[in-house]
Amino acid sequence: MFTVKDYRDALAEGYLLASKCRRCGAVQLPPRPICPRCGSGDLESLKAPKRGRVAAYTVIHVPPSRFKGEEPYAVAIVELLEGIRVSGRMLDVSEADLKVGLEVEADVIKLGEEPLLCFRPLKRP
Amino acid sequence: MGLQRGVAIIGAGMTRFHHKIHADKTGRDLFVEAALEAMTSVDNGIELRDIEALFIGNFSSDSFEHQGHVAALMADWLGLTPKAATRIEAACGSSGAALNIGVMAIASGLYDVVMVGGVEKMRTLTTEEVTDVLAMASDEVYEAAVGFTFPGLYAAMATAHFHRYGSTWEQLCAVSIKNHHNGSLNPKAQFQEEVIDIARRLGERRGMTFKDEMEFLRSPLNPVVAYPLRLFDCCPISDGAAVVIMASEEVARKFTDTPIYVRGIGQASDTMALHDREDLTTIRATRLAAQQAYRMAGIGPEDIDVADVHDCFTIAEVVATEDLGFFPKGEGGKAAEEGRTSLEGDKPINPDGGLKAKGHPVGATGAAMACEIFKQLRGEAGKRQVRDAEVGLIHNVGASGATVVVQIYGR
Repeated sequence: MFTVKDYRDALAEGYLLASKCRRCGAVQLPPRPICPRCGSGDLESLKAPKRGRVAAYTVIHVPPSRFKGEEPYAVAIVELLEGIRVSGRMLDVSEADLKVGLEVEADVIKLGEEPLLCFRPLKRP
Repeated sequence: MGLQRGVAIIGAGMTRFHHKIHADKTGRDLFVEAALEAMTSVDNGIELRDIEALFIGNFSSDSFEHQGHVAALMADWLGLTPKAATRIEAACGSSGAALNIGVMAIASGLYDVVMVGGVEKMRTLTTEEVTDVLAMASDEVYEAAVGFTFPGLYAAMATAHFHRYGSTWEQLCAVSIKNHHNGSLNPKAQFQEEVIDIARRLGERRGMTFKDEMEFLRSPLNPVVAYPLRLFDCCPISDGAAVVIMASEEVARKFTDTPIYVRGIGQASDTMALHDREDLTTIRATRLAAQQAYRMAGIGPEDIDVADVHDCFTIAEVVATEDLGFFPKGEGGKAAEEGRTSLEGDKPINPDGGLKAKGHPVGATGAAMACEIFKQLRGEAGKRQVRDAEVGLIHNVGASGATVVVQIYGR
């Protein structure tokens, strides 16, 4: 059964852990203990692709306390496979270049002790 | 499935929602104030002993006031003990969920009269601390940890909506301007001032003049909170409480000649994380909760005369008016811009000013919506009265849409 720790450990090692249902084939990122499509608990691990496209984004100007001082910073929802999306920090992109559809690649950086999922534009503008 | 027996609202009351005037009050003071107003509003009178149970929506008194177990606390302070008192938590949809529980409690036959309310005392914390607490209603591990805030999630929905439908930030401004206008007519609203009057007042202080609302809204006096959402796209941080009293159809008319009947209820959940939703431009739980409520009421969106929808951010009102079926998908912003959602429009939305102007003490919001529609359908809404309102709807959302409650009322 996949736990949050499995995802975090994978992230610390630099990859995105997903789960794939052995019964119906549905893919979930981050991995889940139960397939939300068919209810099966028979799931296998899958490394998600690192490249995707921005599906939605924002630039945070009023941050939560843990990220105080980092504002403004961008956060995006990135589609890695059809319908498979994840949230991550956007790096190395200007507000003007950040758009829905932008091609990006995942990376993992350390924020203190914690691994942080982030994305960078694939083609540098 | 319908209700096993009819349920009606027989009384409603609320504190003014505000960010300052309740500074010396605690959550319990606010709740008691709202509850007493609700009791007093019952036309033929009601006694505390008539109330058989209490259901309270509250998001986070634990974080805001260092006070848990608030349902028992409120029962105690109201003199309602030993009646059953239960707290319901569904983030900003807490008292909406409590309303549904109240309806079910009466429809089941267990109780004849219950009190349902909500309370949140938020201004004990700084804006930054409130931002932290509200972010707890998103997925801590997969959203908040990468930097999403609560405004940030709705901002992301806005970018997806703009991209797919060509809707614009200017359309969102129309929502804000309209809700501030409605708020200016509501004595219980936090902000009772038109955007243009705020522009004049703030401009004078800084030696700036604005030719219209849009020039002000584009100015640095309306700073970006989470792009593309600016300050006037966001509901404020508020203190307040709201309470309704519900009764079975059998006893309702003992208390009032004009009970407001619950015609339909619905509730749905969705993935906690926004990124896992099928469609980032839709709140699916709204569509599903609305379908349930419309089916139970035997009506459709075209039959709704007035609605209070969850406009925690301007984009949320646009998305809600689409997902509730009032306007085709992608046309909610245009409808707002054309004035269709104003008090005089063909689909008046948030006559009380909405969360934007009325305020949003998160756990109290669903109950406050029920208070407003109760008043609207009884013709008691004063300057903001929607003409000939006979059927009304409330739509209360938890966080980014992982919980949605819809209730439909009729005379």
